[in-house]
This record gives sequence, C-alpha cells and structure tokens, in this order.
Amino acid sequence: MRQLFVLSLVMLLAALPAHAQAPLPAAQTPLPVQVPLPERAPSASAARTPVPEPRSLKVPPPLTEQFNDRSTTSATVAAQPPALPTAAVAAQPPALSTAQSPAPAPSTAALAVRAPRALTELPLESGLPLWVRAGLAFVEVETIDENKETFTATVDMRLSWLDQRLRYPAAEAPIGYREWRNEAVAPQLAAMWTPKVGFANLRGEPTRESRSLRRYPDGRVELLRRVAGSFSSQLDVQRFPFDRQQLQVELVSQDDTADKVNLDYRQDDLLFSRADPGIKIDGWTAGAVTLTRDPLAGWYGERYARMRVALEVDRQALATMPSLFLPLLASLLIPLLATWLNHAKNGEFEIKPFELTNIIIGGLFAVIALNFTVNSERSILASGTNTVSLLFGLNYLALGTALVINVCLFRFNFVRGLAGRHVQHETFLFITWALPIATAATALALILIAAA
Amino acid sequence: MRFQKGAPPALVVVTALVIAALTFGADWLFSGMTSAVERGQLDLMRSIISFNLAGTLTNSLARAEIVAADPVVRQLLAQQDRPALLAHTETIFKQQREKYAVDQMQFHLAPATSFLRLQNPSLFGDDLTQNRPLVVAVNREQVAKKGFAIARTGPALFGIAPIRDMDGNHIGSVEFGMDIGPLLDRLKAAYGLELTLFIDETPLREYAAGMPADVVSEQNRIGPTMRLHSTDWDRMSQLVNGNDLRIHDQPRDWVRKAGGIPYGVLLYPLLNGSGEAMGAIVLARNFESTRSAAGRTVLLQWLLALLGFLAVAAAILIVIRGWLVRPLEAISARFASVGTGRRAPPAEDDPFLCAEMVTLARQHQRIADMIDRRQR
Repeated sequence: MRQLFVLSLVMLLAALPAHAQAPLPAAQTPLPVQVPLPERAPSASAARTPVPEPRSLKVPPPLTEQFNDRSTTSATVAAQPPALPTAAVAAQPPALSTAQSPAPAPSTAALAVRAPRALTELPLESGLPLWVRAGLAFVEVETIDENKETFTATVDMRLSWLDQRLRYPAAEAPIGYREWRNEAVAPQLAAMWTPKVGFANLRGEPTRESRSLRRYPDGRVELLRRVAGSFSSQLDVQRFPFDRQQLQVELVSQDDTADKVNLDYRQDDLLFSRADPGIKIDGWTAGAVTLTRDPLAGWYGERYARMRVALEVDRQALATMPSLFLPLLASLLIPLLATWLNHAKNGEFEIKPFELTNIIIGGLFAVIALNFTVNSERSILASGTNTVSLLFGLNYLALGTALVINVCLFRFNFVRGLAGRHVQHETFLFITWALPIATAATALALILIAAA
Repeated sequence: MRFQKGAPPALVVVTALVIAALTFGADWLFSGMTSAVERGQLDLMRSIISFNLAGTLTNSLARAEIVAADPVVRQLLAQQDRPALLAHTETIFKQQREKYAVDQMQFHLAPATSFLRLQNPSLFGDDLTQNRPLVVAVNREQVAKKGFAIARTGPALFGIAPIRDMDGNHIGSVEFGMDIGPLLDRLKAAYGLELTLFIDETPLREYAAGMPADVVSEQNRIGPTMRLHSTDWDRMSQLVNGNDLRIHDQPRDWVRKAGGIPYGVLLYPLLNGSGEAMGAIVLARNFESTRSAAGRTVLLQWLLALLGFLAVAAAILIVIRGWLVRPLEAISARFASVGTGRRAPPAEDDPFLCAEMVTLARQHQRIADMIDRRQR
C-alpha cells in the first residue's frame, strides 16, 4: 500500500501544471550542488551523494533508489529527488494526496526532468548542445591507394567535454588529472557518459587501437584514441600530376543529434591537429591539417555533428612525369611522323599513302595499349577529366587528323581535285609545320593548365 | 623584294600581332574581373570581422546592462560589500566563462577604481584612469559604452554599463570582457578563414601586468606586436611579418603565398575607445581557386589565339601562294619558254586558275601560238 501511495504521489507531482511547479524567488533558491565523485570508478551511485537537508522537510532517499528498493518509503513528500531545490519542493501544493483525482501516468519527459540523471546519461548542467571539442593528429600515413581511394594511416583522435557531475577536489589529483589507459579505460567509460563519435570513413575494423582517458578536477574529460586502419577518401585527380589531395578522416556523432551533442574545435585542438613532421608518403609531400565542421543530414530534418579533418598532401609531380607523360608525349610524334615523312613536288606526293597509314594504325594500337596500361595501373585516371585523359584524347585526335590527311590529301587528292596542284602543295607545306605546332601547344597547354 | 617571300610573311606577322594584341586585351579585361572578385572577397572578410566584433561587443554590453540592473548588485556595490558581491556573481561569471567565452568581469567604483575582478578577485583597488579611458568615460558620462581595450588581465572586447544605487545615484560601473580568441576560432569554423590576433607590445606590457608571463615573450614577438592567438600560425607566419604590422592604424590588404598557395590577407586594426590602434587582427583567405581559374583562362585564351592564328595563317599562305604566287610562277615559266623552241605543255591546273590568271594564261597561249605560226 505504501509503495502504491508513493508511486501515485510521484505521478501526481509529474502531472502538475507548469505554474504549480514554478520556482520561488531567487533568494530562496539554493546554489547548485556540486556532486563529488569517488576517487575511482565513478558510477550511477555517485549521484546519490547526500544534499543539505531541506529546512522543513525530511530528506527522502533518491528517487531512483526508491524505484529500485520498493521497501524504502516516506510518508511525506518522499518522492522528491534529493537534487531538487528546497524551493521547488516547497512549491508543491500541500493539499496533494491520493484522495484527489486518479493520478495520470507520468510522462517519461517529466520524470526525466525531475529524476537525478545517471552519470551515463547526457550531462545537461552546461545546457544543450553539449559541445565536444575534437582534434585529430596524423601519426603516420603508410600508403595512399589512389585506385581504391583509400589511405592507410594511424591517427590520434582527441575528444574533450565538460561534465560537471564528474568534478572532484583538485587536491585529489596532484598531477592535475586522473588518467586511465588501455584496458583500464573501458570500465571508466562504461560508468560515465561519453560522446559516441566514430570514424565515418573507416573501412572495416581498426587494425590497432589504444585509448587513454583523463579526468580533470573541473569536470573536463579528455578521451584520446589512437586508431590504425584504412580510411576512404575521395581523390580529385583533375589536376594530375600537380594535384593536391585531402586525406580526410570524418568524425561523426553517431547517436545524438547536433542539437544535443555538437562537435567544435578551439585553438588547442588546432594545435593538436597536426601531421607528424616525420611522416613520409611515397610520391607525396604531407602538408597542413585542416578542420571543417560539416553537419550530416539525418532523418526528419535532424542533423548530426560531423567534423572533417583533412591532411593536405601534394603529389610529387616530377616523380610521375617521366613514367607517364614521356610515353604520352612521345606517342604524339607518331601521327606527326606520318605527315612529315611524305614529300611533295609541285603538288605530287612521293610516298605511297598506305605506308604512312600503316604508321598511323601502328600508332593507334600503341596509344590504345598505353591507354589500357595506364587505366589498369591507375584506374582513377580512367574516369573523369584529367590531364592524362585529355592527353590521350589529344593523341587520338592527332592520329585521326593524320589519318584524314593521309586518306583525303595523300590518297585521294581531294584538295587537288577541288583547287589544283598549287593549292594542294601549299596545303601540305602548311600542314607540315602547323600540325606539330598546334599539337605541341595543345599538349603543353593541357599540362600547364593542370599546373596553374 | 620578291612578293612570294615578302608578302605572305608580312601578312602573317601582322595577323600574329593583331591576334596577340587582342589576346593581351582580353587577358587584361579578365584580370580586372579576377581582381574585382578578389576585392569582393577582401571586402567580405572586412565585413565579417567588423560585424562579428561589433556583435561580440554588443553581447558584452548586454551582459553588463543585465548585471547593472540587478538590485542585489546595485545594493552590494553601494554598500561596497566585496565578499557578498563576489559570492553573488561568481557563479554567473564561471558559467559565462565556460559556456560563452566571457573572459573578464569587473566592477568599478566611480570615477575609475577597480572594485572587484571576478577573473582575479584578489586584485582590486587600483586606479584605471590611465589605461582604461572607456571606464572613465562611462563613469563620467554615466552612459553605457563598448569597445576594445587592454585591461590588466589582457585585451578583450568590453561592454561597460553604469550602476546606480537604489536611490538612482551613480556609484560605479560593471564591465564584461569577451575573449577574442574563441571568436577567431568560431570565424575559422564558420568561414574557413585563418586569423591571428596581434596586440602592440608597449601597451600590453604597460597595462596588462596581470597576463601570464609566457604570453609576452620573445617567441610571440612579431615586429612591434605580440601574437596572442592564431588559428594556424604555421601558415599565417608566411603571410604576415613584422614589417606588415609596423603600421596598422588603417585596414590594409595584400595577396601573398604560403606553401605555394596564394592567400588574400586583410589587416584589420583594433582601436581603443580613444581611437588609438592597439593591435590588429589579420585575416587570410585562400585565393587559390580564383587564381587557378584565372591562370587556366589565360592559358586557354593563348591556346585559342594560337589556333586562330594558325587558321588565319593557313588562309593567307594557301590562298596567296597556292592561288596567286605559284600559278603566276608557272605562267611566268611558260612565258619564259616562248621563243626558245621548247614550248611548255598546257598546265592541268588551268581550270582551277582564277579569272585574272585565266586571262594571263590565254594571253600566253595566244602569243605562243602566234610565235609558233611565224616560226613555221
């Protein structure tokens, strides 16, 4: 019966209209109570620290405790949680009793407001959203797989936030903080709220992971996580081989929407977010690390906090040029040779067209073979517009032009048939110098545009 | 001079010059457009920093006015009860500091005596007349003011509101100072700008005696200023130097490269209540996209100009040489053979000759026939 009475009283309190729960003037409101924590292993029981006794009421046990232990009851306003200010308790109408109309079922939200929040729940003391400051340092970048658009790296992610419920006397931490590492971290994290921030672009499971947790006397918590793994990151090779890529690691708040938990960074996070000076990536030069906040769209118009941490890497163009661009530029000579080799005397061509066409067809197969080779080795260059694909295009265009010249000019003498031998002769002479200039200038422009 | 050798090259050269001049003109116009875009970006940067500084100052002042209107504060300041005022306001200050980057909160007694510094309660009673003109002005004119200042515990964006006792008599003032560093961090997050705060060393040493010793140090000295906050000093150190900061009483801008990337840099002066420059905020924005686009456009313009030139040169050379000079040479050769007894056969190209050349060829044919008849 007593348990039923207590429960119904709680329900009635929860169902009270807002004006009945209005706080009293500030002068009667006690200062916020700081909840000290045990030295080790904080848990939900830490929230049960006794509070000063209200002036006119008996101190009831905490609400959570009552729900857990039904035998503990109090005849007065026992359902009040200990964390409630005295004024709030005093504000309850004295006539409240079970004799009143049947109590409606308490809403979860109302109970949540009144019940002391477990340490594993989101801290609300500093308001919402809770700002979690994030930083990420690149410890090592082993490889960049352009074809799969992934990179293998070891990164340090640092998250820090303020949970005022976790404050403790500074004297208890002579070095300024308490620290747990690796296996000792998990029990600590299980007993407190932690932001569920994950790596959105981590492919598979981390190959290596270690953690460190620090708690400062003022309630600040710092979680450091070292993760090695493969991260996907879109590469833009439009300016290949003068491209600058951003090796991105995406940090996403997975459970809580951005209006509850948001990611941010400040000066010390920027200072933390660096690439190790010793990082060496084959064919690349590591640069600066940039942080960008970019919310992720969720369901029903919700958004999730996301932070992109990107390491800028510059491709070492000179390392790529000989292996890829020399064959590409050399193959451009084939169609030019097919026009240069001919000789005109008073508009009459001296070399038979099929011999020159053979060169062009041979060149076509050579370019196709080179194209297949490049596409199989660097499949990322096969899609989209980039310097290499444009140079291949120029190769095919030059071969096509040379073929048209061979067929129309050398074989069927179209120009001669239309305008006579003199015009044909001059046309041939013009082609012998203009075609190489146009081809070379276009190739050079394509390379320079990529470098611009 | 032979027409064949002189005329076509002359025409080709003139064509090349005209096309080059047109391309230069187009480049000049385009570079003007690029400069206009970059100017717009720099103006936007100036608007962003001035708007946010003004907003932060207003936030400081709003906080100060709320506290100045609190009856308990008015009563406690009137009673000059420092411990009670500290007890009443320290929670407010702590929360504001944790959540909203409020760096300083101070009560003054008129005309300009520090009564209570929430950020350093043990430091009080000093005269602020020399270094805090804004405090003096607020207590003299008894109106709220806002502005940048270097206080004893460091520079901040201050809002100062006068406080009256319960009878309406002016007794002092309260100020809130917002830290500039977090503002710069937020601007970087929101706009992708790089920002650095520089404060003049002389007033910093003179007024901000309560700042940590490591702030005013050799490693932070840049020209006549001290670097107090930077969102990315590695990059900014390549974009701004001591010479740039030597004069910083007016906004200035320039474009400079850092790590091979061009950045638009804006120097925005920080003036105190008296209008004296006390430091500057330097902002930088990546201009690589506009510069790359401009470079690509210039290259494409010149490539198209070259291709255009080749097309015009083809027309000149093929038309003049193929339709005029070479047929003329052939007809001349035929004229030269007249009377030698070795008459040149009729050319197969005669049907392709232009009308003027056809007349000439016919004349040659008529003369050659006439001479042949005479010789026979």
